[in-house]
Amino acid sequence: MTVVAKTFDPRQLKNTLARWLISAGGISVLFTLVLIFMYLVYVIKPIFESASIAPETQIQFLENAQDSETVAVGVDELKEIGFNINAQGEISFYQMQDNEDHARGEHLLTESILSNDENLQKILSTTSNQYVLLTTDGTIKVVEPTFIVSFEGDKRSMNPTVRYPLGEDAIYIDEDEAAIKDFSFVMNEEKAMIMALSEDNRLIKTALIADDDFYYDPEFTAEYQLIADNIDAIDFIQVTPDTTMGVVARNNEVSVYELDDDWDVPVKGQFNPVIESQANITAMTLLSGSSSILFGTDNGDVLQWFEVASDDGRKFQQIRRFKASINEAITQIYPERYRKSFFAVTPSGQVGLYYTTSETQLWQGKMLQSDQQPFAIAPRANGVVLSGKTQLELLTVDNEHPEVTWSALWQEVWYEGYPEPAYIWQSTSGSDDFEAKFSLVPISFGTMKAALYAMLFAVPVALAAAVYTAYFMPPVMRKTVKPTIELMEALPTVILGFLAGLWLAPLIEAYLPAVFLLLILLPLATFITAFAWYKLPKNIKVFVPESFAPMIILPVLILAAMLAFTLSPMIEASWFGGDMRKFITNDLGIDFDQRNALVVGIAMGFAVIPTIFSMAEDAIFSVPKHLTSGSLALGATQWQTLVKVVLLTASPGIFSAIMMGLGRAVGETMIVLMATGNTPVIDWSIFQGMRTLSANIAVEMPESEVGSSHYRILFLAAFVLFVFTFVFNTLAEFVRQRLRDKYSSL
Amino acid sequence: MINVNPQVLITDSERLDINNLTAEQVALEIKNLNLHYGDKQALQNISMKIPKGQVTAFIGPSGCGKSTLLRCINRMNDLVDICKIDGAIELNGENIYAKHVDVAQLRRKVGMVFQRPNPFPKSIYENVVYGLRLIGQNNRRVLDEVCERSLRAAALWDEVKDRIHESALGLSGGQQQRLVIARAIAIEPEVLLLDEPTSALDPISTLTIEELINDLKQQYTVVIVTHNMQQAARVSDQTAFMYMGDLIEYADTNTLFTTPAKKKTEDYITGRYG
Repeated sequence: MTVVAKTFDPRQLKNTLARWLISAGGISVLFTLVLIFMYLVYVIKPIFESASIAPETQIQFLENAQDSETVAVGVDELKEIGFNINAQGEISFYQMQDNEDHARGEHLLTESILSNDENLQKILSTTSNQYVLLTTDGTIKVVEPTFIVSFEGDKRSMNPTVRYPLGEDAIYIDEDEAAIKDFSFVMNEEKAMIMALSEDNRLIKTALIADDDFYYDPEFTAEYQLIADNIDAIDFIQVTPDTTMGVVARNNEVSVYELDDDWDVPVKGQFNPVIESQANITAMTLLSGSSSILFGTDNGDVLQWFEVASDDGRKFQQIRRFKASINEAITQIYPERYRKSFFAVTPSGQVGLYYTTSETQLWQGKMLQSDQQPFAIAPRANGVVLSGKTQLELLTVDNEHPEVTWSALWQEVWYEGYPEPAYIWQSTSGSDDFEAKFSLVPISFGTMKAALYAMLFAVPVALAAAVYTAYFMPPVMRKTVKPTIELMEALPTVILGFLAGLWLAPLIEAYLPAVFLLLILLPLATFITAFAWYKLPKNIKVFVPESFAPMIILPVLILAAMLAFTLSPMIEASWFGGDMRKFITNDLGIDFDQRNALVVGIAMGFAVIPTIFSMAEDAIFSVPKHLTSGSLALGATQWQTLVKVVLLTASPGIFSAIMMGLGRAVGETMIVLMATGNTPVIDWSIFQGMRTLSANIAVEMPESEVGSSHYRILFLAAFVLFVFTFVFNTLAEFVRQRLRDKYSSL
Repeated sequence: MINVNPQVLITDSERLDINNLTAEQVALEIKNLNLHYGDKQALQNISMKIPKGQVTAFIGPSGCGKSTLLRCINRMNDLVDICKIDGAIELNGENIYAKHVDVAQLRRKVGMVFQRPNPFPKSIYENVVYGLRLIGQNNRRVLDEVCERSLRAAALWDEVKDRIHESALGLSGGQQQRLVIARAIAIEPEVLLLDEPTSALDPISTLTIEELINDLKQQYTVVIVTHNMQQAARVSDQTAFMYMGDLIEYADTNTLFTTPAKKKTEDYITGRYG
């Protein structure tokens, strides 16, 4: 017996090497896919996280300042310097974070806003970071804590100072210099708007119009108007930040005044927000953006109201209700400056953080000792400051993406100013306090619509072509036709999109009747030609080589198309009053976009035809010949064999061809980007455009701020797209595998 | 020379004289049949009479044209574009290559079973009744009846009666081939063409099919192509030996195998070539 000695064998080495290389390649592809998936999830995850609030830092007030009660607090944008305003009208700044110049807790500056003979009656803070101090005399002083950043070489330093945008002099609200019971104040660069109730029961409006710009120059001209007489008390008063509306609540009755007019202050609306719930209004605030009014009630609700267009004009309507407390009243509501978030506070100091658009409670807990404790939201909404008796506390608020919830993404949302809840995608606008509308429904719908119209065009054409090529076409012709159609797949889709958007769309618009005529003429011409060929005497037929006989259909089709386009203007003139597009819009009442589903269907149909054709043709062609012979030998006609045996046997391949085509249509970007008009509307109409997930990402990704909700939602859109194509391809593969098992023994 | 199974031996009284058949005894008459594939002639001037209710075997080496000749009988060669045929094949005195002949109708009269079992990817039941459904027969009772009768005739009923609605692809090769025979006889053809029906099967399945062929000739005229001489000797009444597109010798099986008239035949059956 001989033993084969183990020697170096180059074949073994090659074998092992090849095995490792192939395994490495396969695993790295899978690994890359998993990485992409994980990265998407990593970017998306934060938008679904709830808010969190945690103590950040705490500093002590100066000892000599501890006697006077703090009435207002605040912090700078970077949360480096905090300040408080006390009942004597003194503002003190404290360092909140250690830096090179100052230690944490260091007192930086104290300035008196009020003079000795002035007594503070009330203090207001505006959404634009001003503090308005009302004195018992009926005068106001407006201060804006300002933080000046300077650089000395590489060293950055920040120094607090107090700016008086309306000057340091006291300003009387009332023309007659009467004392004031309650007031509201807002200002921008051009004007300040005050609405107030005087001690002698007059409801008045005072506008301070800047001579130049309050940013540079505190000089102004005051305009006084009387709104109403004999109003002895009001509960709440607010002026919207855009200075156009004033809202007054009195005995649960809310009146909204228009403040635009210099001569007249008309009542815009009047309503009782608590008439059904039998509650009382215990707080009233305006949500950022000047549209929504929030009411806190004594049964623990926060109600959101805004103006809605209805058949009989614009009317205020309750939109949402937040159950903020079970057993306590809501006595304070603090809105964020830019977003639709607000903090609702109960007398015992329970605080809830809410977001209106997404209708969610983001956080709840006991944060304050009572509802009277001074409380302020940091300018970037990334923290809150509150003051105790002797200290200033800073809490970190981690609430990056309150606007995104499952329901805001996938359900109808009632946006401000809309007559009813709707699915809207409108991610950006020019305004800071814009309510972002992040519904993925319109763009998912657009994706489906574009894919479906494309499939409607591509599936019949591609399958018919596949059946013909695989089953009927002479082999000589098949040899050239199949690679040619497959070559179409290599055509860059940007060219198809470009042609669709710039050539096809205007053409279809101009020759609309021709498009519909073609739908009838092309099949008709094909049938007539086929019939004529069938009936043609044999001695004429021999002149056409049999392999290329099907080619004679081509000139016929071209002639049919030319006929359609020639007839188009005549049809328009005689039946559609000269312009079919106008006819559709005006007489049928169907909106017509130039870039519409018809254009996309045709253009993207062209893009997916090669995919479907190629796979389906392979499937049909690879039906074993002995099956077709078996059927024919039983007396079946060609057609019966095709329908009953060939298509049945090829069905797994045909199905996966269609699914692959659908997957391609869903993920296609350039064509939809250029030919859909990118309008995120939900409308099945063939004459309307759409916006797809892929085009949406392509359009908006360059303009979205990295890390913002918008940015992350675009990643979510990418994720949804990924899931769509993944589902289609998996389904295709799954069905194909199952059917293949079924037919494996053929 | 060849060990012929004595059980299948045909007695002299049953034996027909194929050179002197009456018109009623003839199922098929092939007259001066020539067939060209493009420039190449595959069959040369074949003339023969195939008797009714008997098994006729075509034997010969690979490429001799025996399958081509078989396929001419139900015009399966029509599917090949470059194939040109002249001469005539008469079925019951009618030329099947005449202009007015409906090929689908012809194939219903001349059934065919192929080398590889080719059941459709459907249930056993649907396979058997396929030919009936083609002509629009959808009456459940008729279909059930035909299905059972055909499967019984193909000696398959007992094996599959409990699962006739399951996929035919689950059957073994031999069962599949018998199913295909059942499918062919379900439409009651006059002639049954078998193109090497056992070449893809194991010996036991082959035996079953051979016994089946013996039963089938009670009702049908059977023409079988085989490259297995023992099989031809076992199952056929007449044997035709073909070589290079020519019909060399056509005689009753016993005569051909025991006292061949031609040298080529003798060389072939003694294994000199093949």
